[in-house]
Amino acid sequence: MVKNKMIRKMSKHGQFKIQQMAFMLIAVVVFFALVGIFVLAFRLSSIKATANLLEEQNAMLLVSKLANSPEFSCGKAYGGTRINCVDFDKALILKQSIADYKNFWGVSNIEIRKIVGSDNEVSCSQSNYPNCNVIKLIENSSMGYDYGNFVSLCWKEKEENSDSLYDRCEVGRIIVRYKEKI
Amino acid sequence: MLKITKKKAQEEMIGFAMIIIIVAVIVLILLGLALNKPKTSTGVESYEIESFIVAGLQHTSDCSVNRGVSYAPIEDLIMECDNEQFCEDGRLACEALEATWEDILGDSWKAGEDVPVKGYLLNVTSDSRGLVSFDEGNITSNYKGSAYPLSRRGSDYSIELKVYY
Repeated sequence: MVKNKMIRKMSKHGQFKIQQMAFMLIAVVVFFALVGIFVLAFRLSSIKATANLLEEQNAMLLVSKLANSPEFSCGKAYGGTRINCVDFDKALILKQSIADYKNFWGVSNIEIRKIVGSDNEVSCSQSNYPNCNVIKLIENSSMGYDYGNFVSLCWKEKEENSDSLYDRCEVGRIIVRYKEKI
Repeated sequence: MLKITKKKAQEEMIGFAMIIIIVAVIVLILLGLALNKPKTSTGVESYEIESFIVAGLQHTSDCSVNRGVSYAPIEDLIMECDNEQFCEDGRLACEALEATWEDILGDSWKAGEDVPVKGYLLNVTSDSRGLVSFDEGNITSNYKGSAYPLSRRGSDYSIELKVYY
């Protein structure tokens, strides 16, 4: 009788110990699962941030080299070779055939702006050129991050009281926009 | 019996301490990763300042020094200013140079209290002699700047721009 009672007591104690261990194991598993989820979320967000950073660097590099690319550069049209010089006349013509450059630069927007005395935005067209201040070459997105760089915008301007042309250059800005990865 | 209980308690304490150490190390690693974020932009990039000076030098001013045939770009106006020449409209070349830089800088950088750019300072020198100096806004301890050298007709010019943020 006493022996049976003792066996039952020991068995109960053993069950309690097994239960305690099971709870402990569950708690440890839940804890590490939570830590794992946290780490995974953090890593995923850093991958997204890296993708955006790469896109940003690409836009920054593009904006620095765009002015000297053959599609935009002044070449020798304004006397000598100029650096960071955008031919505004060329850009207006480029706008007409921009469909041929779809995905060529890999950014969602490209625009060229005159800076000096340009409080109101006047988009350039054949009819108002050069009395305008913005040429929007590519307009795919209104959302995203803009990167710009200063350039010299040059065009041939007519003298006021004669038909002769002279070279006119102004400080402008070339702006590219890239879309943020969601 | 007492000895066994004491030993068991010691083992539990060591286990508990180990768990705390492991958790602390994990938390520290995660905290380190979270704080190691890339630097945020200041709104002013170094490459922009040099590009601005290069573009500014090519900017056509409203000063003609060749009997109205054409208007001088800023880089020519710097030399005319150094030689104390006059524009066709009677202004000193240095006055025209300063006014042109003022226009370009004002429209390009837009300094103010509530914007990233707090102020700027431009110095144009010829063989270490000051030709034009122009500043706007507040001078702070944080700035990005660039000095652009220019050599013409045996003289060395330097255009230095500092943008404060």
